[in-house]
Amino acid sequence: MAQTRPLWQFKEPAKSYDVVVIGGGLHGLAAAYYLAKDHKIKRVAVLERRYPGFGGSGRNTEVIRANQRAPEILPLYVQSNQLWNSLSAELEWNLMVWMKGLVGLAHSEAGLNAMRMRHETQTRMGIENHLLTPAELKKLVPALDVSDRAAIPVYGGYFNPPGGQVRHDAAVWGLSKGCHRLGVDLCVGVEVTGINVADGRVQGVETNKGSIAAPIVHMAPGGYSSQVARLAGLTLPVVTLPLQAMVTEPIRPFLDQVVVSELYFCYVQQSLKGDLIMGAHLDPWQSFKLYNTFDFSAEQAYFILQLFPDLANLKLMRSWSGLCDMTVDGCPIMGRTEIEGLFIDAGWGYFGFKSSPACGKNMAEYMATGRSPENIKSLGMERFYEGRMVPETYIARS
Amino acid sequence: MGFLIPCPNCGLREVYEFKFGGEVKAQPGPEADLKAWRHYLYFNENLSGVHEEWWYHSAGCGEWFRLKRDTATNEIIED
Repeated sequence: MAQTRPLWQFKEPAKSYDVVVIGGGLHGLAAAYYLAKDHKIKRVAVLERRYPGFGGSGRNTEVIRANQRAPEILPLYVQSNQLWNSLSAELEWNLMVWMKGLVGLAHSEAGLNAMRMRHETQTRMGIENHLLTPAELKKLVPALDVSDRAAIPVYGGYFNPPGGQVRHDAAVWGLSKGCHRLGVDLCVGVEVTGINVADGRVQGVETNKGSIAAPIVHMAPGGYSSQVARLAGLTLPVVTLPLQAMVTEPIRPFLDQVVVSELYFCYVQQSLKGDLIMGAHLDPWQSFKLYNTFDFSAEQAYFILQLFPDLANLKLMRSWSGLCDMTVDGCPIMGRTEIEGLFIDAGWGYFGFKSSPACGKNMAEYMATGRSPENIKSLGMERFYEGRMVPETYIARS
Repeated sequence: MGFLIPCPNCGLREVYEFKFGGEVKAQPGPEADLKAWRHYLYFNENLSGVHEEWWYHSAGCGEWFRLKRDTATNEIIED
């Protein structure tokens, strides 16, 4: 039967709310959703200046995984994986979660040693991971070239089952639907132009649609985090760098895992419709411009052909870019700020997509109860002043 | 599209020849406390607009120099 009820409706913002969320990406939508669902806070608005999912939520390479390095943050990614797997049923909206697993490739003894270290951490934390020889890799991924033909041959690798792909647009739509059902106001075309603070407490926000009063304001602005934080007079420990990705024409299914080369810094996976999603290259200079370069496509194509020579002559369909607000330690900034009632969830670099449901859940709990949940307690901004970095590393760094 | 960087020695060259050195910041003095140093090291204005920054011509002459660039458009601003 045809759907007659709209899945969501955008609203004009009211004059006041219990919580105002700045940013209608996955992090903001998830925070609003869990505020309403877990904590029964109904007067919540999500303010988005463009459209839901304009930023990183729709510009990533759709990979989810929980095989990062730092034990401080791994439980958050594990929680996120669990939420991704339950959200489709909960939202009654198919997020097309495909737990196909990740295959990581090392091309040297040093690269393999880094994998061994992460393997030990993951095993200790109950995350399934297997270290593989080139012969075992070949068995798992038949199209992979493990011969000596490549400029830098495959030396070893891992198979990490609890990871895969989620359809990113479906996630934005599903959470929009969930928010709408629970009575959250989704306000698009609303640009926050100021954050009102008095006596060290947040009072609300100024927007192009007028003032909105709120005792709690949550900043979830993705790559634009520094711009939003500056409205409250805060400087963040981030730089915003542009990331590029691309997709080929669809071909018959041949690749059942996400393949990552940690030396070549490239990801490749085959989507359900058959195209190969490839990325990700980070231009290491600050830029808020979304652009793609020929150098990126040529470099990625070269890397992918080193791994999968049979893909030669495949056509590229599209490329795109997104903004990554990067911290120096590779971990996000989550929690309170020095202004009471003002919360932040930023600095995600390019780990923002995979972590989004758990971020929303934990930030919602923090805002509703005033106590930091266990999974994000190491991630406050104060760690940069206390010299207490979380030793995460970016894998695909250019 | 990438963009071109004007090296003081080599002229306009492809941006991938250079290494980015970050925003130009005021370095704290010797009397500054640890917090000021950490702020200097880890925090950035991260402007979407014109700011001054360092570049290093790593695949060229090896010169470090300053430049004004609009990070919203990647346009180089000549003084």
